[in-house]
Amino acid sequence: MTTTAVDTRTNTLKRGMTTAALLGTVLGAGFFAGLSAASAQTITVWSGYPEMAPFYEHVAEGLKATHPDLNVKVEAIALREHEKRIALGLTSGSAGPLVIELAGSTASRYIENELLPAAPDDISAFVKDPANFGEFFVDAVSHDGTVYGMPLFRGQGSLFYNTDMFAAAGLTEPPKTMEEYTEYAQKLTQRDANGNPTVSGWSMRLSGGGQGIAEKFWVNLFQYGGNVLVQTADGKWKADYANEAGRKALKQYLDNVFVAKTVTPEMPADAEAFERGQTAMFIRESWVIGDIAAKAPDLHYATAPLPTGSIALPTNLYVSAEGDDAKAAWDFAQATNSPENLVWLLENVGWLPNRSGVDYSVVTDKVPAFGAFVDYPEGYGFFTLPAIGPIEEVLTRLAAQLTSAFGNASLAGDDAAIDAYLKAAADETNQILAREDLLGQ
Amino acid sequence: MLKRKRWIFAMLAILPTLAIFAYVRMYPIADTLRLSLHKWDILSKKKPFIGLANFQELMGDRLFQEALLNTTIIAFGVLIITIPLAMVIAALIFHRTRSRFAGFYETSVFIPHVVSLVPAAMAWKWIFDARLGPLNAFLGLFGIQPQAWLFDPVLSVVCVIVLCSWQALGYAVLIYIVGFKSLPVSLYEAAKLDGASGPQSFWYLSIPMLKPITLYVSVVTLVSGFNVYAQAFVLASDAQGAPGRQVRVLVLDMLENSFRNYRVGYAASEAVVLLAIVLVLTLVQFTLLRERGARS
Amino acid sequence: MSEAVSDIAVEQAEGARLRFKKRAVDRLIDVVLFLFSILMILPLIFLVSNAFKTPQEMLAWPPTVIPANPTLDNFAAVLGQTPLLQWIANSLMFAGLSTVAILATSAIAGYILGKFQYKTLTVIFALFLATAIVPFEVYMIPLYFQAQSLGILNSTWGLLLGYLVMSFGIFLIRQNVIHSIPDELLEAARIDGAGELWIFWRIVLPLLRGALGALGVLAFFQAWTAFAWPMIVTTTRESYTIEVGLALFQTGFTVDLGRLSAASAAVLVPSVTLFILLRRNFVQGIASTGLKE
Repeated sequence: MTTTAVDTRTNTLKRGMTTAALLGTVLGAGFFAGLSAASAQTITVWSGYPEMAPFYEHVAEGLKATHPDLNVKVEAIALREHEKRIALGLTSGSAGPLVIELAGSTASRYIENELLPAAPDDISAFVKDPANFGEFFVDAVSHDGTVYGMPLFRGQGSLFYNTDMFAAAGLTEPPKTMEEYTEYAQKLTQRDANGNPTVSGWSMRLSGGGQGIAEKFWVNLFQYGGNVLVQTADGKWKADYANEAGRKALKQYLDNVFVAKTVTPEMPADAEAFERGQTAMFIRESWVIGDIAAKAPDLHYATAPLPTGSIALPTNLYVSAEGDDAKAAWDFAQATNSPENLVWLLENVGWLPNRSGVDYSVVTDKVPAFGAFVDYPEGYGFFTLPAIGPIEEVLTRLAAQLTSAFGNASLAGDDAAIDAYLKAAADETNQILAREDLLGQ
Repeated sequence: MLKRKRWIFAMLAILPTLAIFAYVRMYPIADTLRLSLHKWDILSKKKPFIGLANFQELMGDRLFQEALLNTTIIAFGVLIITIPLAMVIAALIFHRTRSRFAGFYETSVFIPHVVSLVPAAMAWKWIFDARLGPLNAFLGLFGIQPQAWLFDPVLSVVCVIVLCSWQALGYAVLIYIVGFKSLPVSLYEAAKLDGASGPQSFWYLSIPMLKPITLYVSVVTLVSGFNVYAQAFVLASDAQGAPGRQVRVLVLDMLENSFRNYRVGYAASEAVVLLAIVLVLTLVQFTLLRERGARS
Repeated sequence: MSEAVSDIAVEQAEGARLRFKKRAVDRLIDVVLFLFSILMILPLIFLVSNAFKTPQEMLAWPPTVIPANPTLDNFAAVLGQTPLLQWIANSLMFAGLSTVAILATSAIAGYILGKFQYKTLTVIFALFLATAIVPFEVYMIPLYFQAQSLGILNSTWGLLLGYLVMSFGIFLIRQNVIHSIPDELLEAARIDGAGELWIFWRIVLPLLRGALGALGVLAFFQAWTAFAWPMIVTTTRESYTIEVGLALFQTGFTVDLGRLSAASAAVLVPSVTLFILLRRNFVQGIASTGLKE
């Protein structure tokens, strides 16, 4: 007995209707469950760093005493996706009460478009108190003098180096100038019989991650006194890397890849390479400490501050909610900055808390690697990403330019070509600024 | 009376489909055209009209040009590999159609087309891996140096082409097999009597008679080649920790402009350009392959 | 007499040689096809074998095809740490509902457009044709904002919004209806007093069985392997489809290839099995459309 198309179709229909009925039941049940759980509040924490999820859950645990009915959902996804869901979630207003973890520079566009509310008075007072946060962090979380969020942690770059490899190469101290970085890289690179590097001396950020390439380039550029973007007298911005500083920075990349051949884009890079002993040193943020502890606990390494200064990317917590939910959300944000939680953050995740006046020595004594991040020398400079709309576009396009440059052997050793290249890239940057009416003189 | 009833039935029956179509196809397409003339950054409520400014900027945009170039190379690369290869494989499978292996051949050729894109791309990502991949190991047997497949600007595009062809082949082969099955056997027997060899009758008989199928397959392959995204995303992606050289394709550039640079109007103008290209190419293919006397 | 016998012998020898030649050619073709088939599925074989490798073996050079110490750790880790099953469920639900929607709309629209000659319908058909050429990626951004305003992001409905109709489906059914359903049949039914709905249900649909089967398979796999649309529509981990979930598979800053392969392999199995079961349907369906237009 063959089944006819009608039977198949009826079966499909039946299946469809069963599915619909099931869906209806599930939705109905969910609805009623939602109703009965109305007394239980739910706020959702959106984070762009999966490793922060345990921290937020730890904070939520701590809140159970004072907020027994509060249910905190933590959703941490990859950074780019996180930024996208914020853009789309906030504009549709359909996302429910949220605690949003966001870099200060990215938050500015939401604040300008009135998509994020200002912080309530008590939070604002807490943030503005100089005993709690340095001016740098207060600025990062404010707009036109009003506080919109709660500072939490920052990304700050320092040097990580493998002490065993240093000893083997006869080096006792970390490099103190950028020139030394290249020298050290040459001494530390291990090669095979054909002279190709098998272990890179200095793992530079040559590929992957779009915007990140530009950020890391900026860190190097900063050591030479340059900046990707610099603020002009009229409060606007312009590119500041088509100059000697830019040339030196780019040249250093090119020299290491093509002349000294201490590193290539295909070689394993970044934290993973460092943990596997495939590179001798690299510059990264403090989360690597936690990563090494988890994945390569026997690695002998140390950290050191950079020659002149470092990037500091403050990440803050903002709230998108109303009424009681808003109160609960801000309470959560406040709780993240309790001394106990911040010490937990530093110890278990590794990102650097921004709050001053908290004793982190419990952690820094146990893990000396944090020293480079918190005990930096006098006059150490910091820079951060400007809180302007097109910042991502500027960095992404610069990253595309840099990636091509890193693959272009003919640029190495040709100063004039490098200058021309940087000029073209800077022109593109300025063009973007001009388009958004942000180009200064 | 009856006629009226029929008319009412027809209209009512098609209404739901038409309504859905209008909402999910026609409206957004019109909206894309509209948005391309405006400036919108998702967040603000203002969407000022700026005429053709987006298009003007697009013409000078280095990244757009790179995306266009890459996408064109990939699309045509896939086309050039897929069509001839699919025809030959289909012919071979058809020749052995009565053997018990025919099912196996068909299945294994078609499976790449239906498996989830991402796992398949991950598999190829590993194959192409410079240090760990079997491709370099295999080439090493012949004394060829290991290549950085996914990092080289040229080779990474080749990798995407290979992946896309691998996936597109199955569909093309299947369609061609159906085509072969519908060819008139008598013609081939006549040819054989005249002394034509297998390859000869393939070249002079099969290929011309399969023109309509070639047209269909080439349009579909080329259009989907221009819309390549997932393969480039996985294989040659941005991801930290699993880097490769990013192969910038049109859809990727579009989504980046829209959701990372917050420039929806600009992204819409890119979409319009993509549409124009697809339309032109489709028209060209129709003219080319129809003209040369297609016989059904 | 002997001449005839030797003629026959010569012919037989000739026949034997030709048969031998044919068999040799067949064998050769078999070898080529066999190698080619293996090459085609080789990447997937690698994927499955990688799923069972230990992290150390993943780094081994030269890479092995068959894992030396097969382990189930990767699978355990993946199932424990990611909502893989949830993603598969999401994909199944999405693909299933999409198939139903596409079959329904294509069947009815294809029938109406194929068998009813009205000016309005010609216009409608032209509209469908015009929009069919437009690639989805071109208009998916405004469609996204439509989904956003309906509040159906991160849900199966949001996913479905882009996959409710399939232009090719409508064409396929229309072709089929024109080529394989004679007008006389329908007229006869009408003269007998049958209602339009009854005609559609009891006469047209059964005749469309093959085409609907093929279309169903196409629609299912189109939704199952959809990438760009689910990528922008789903932003919460639980609502990812399997494609998006795998692509964004990340543990912190690095990607664990072994686990990724395990997740991918786990997804591969349903895809392949489903296809092997449905292949006949698909091939038959395409053949029955008379793909010569």
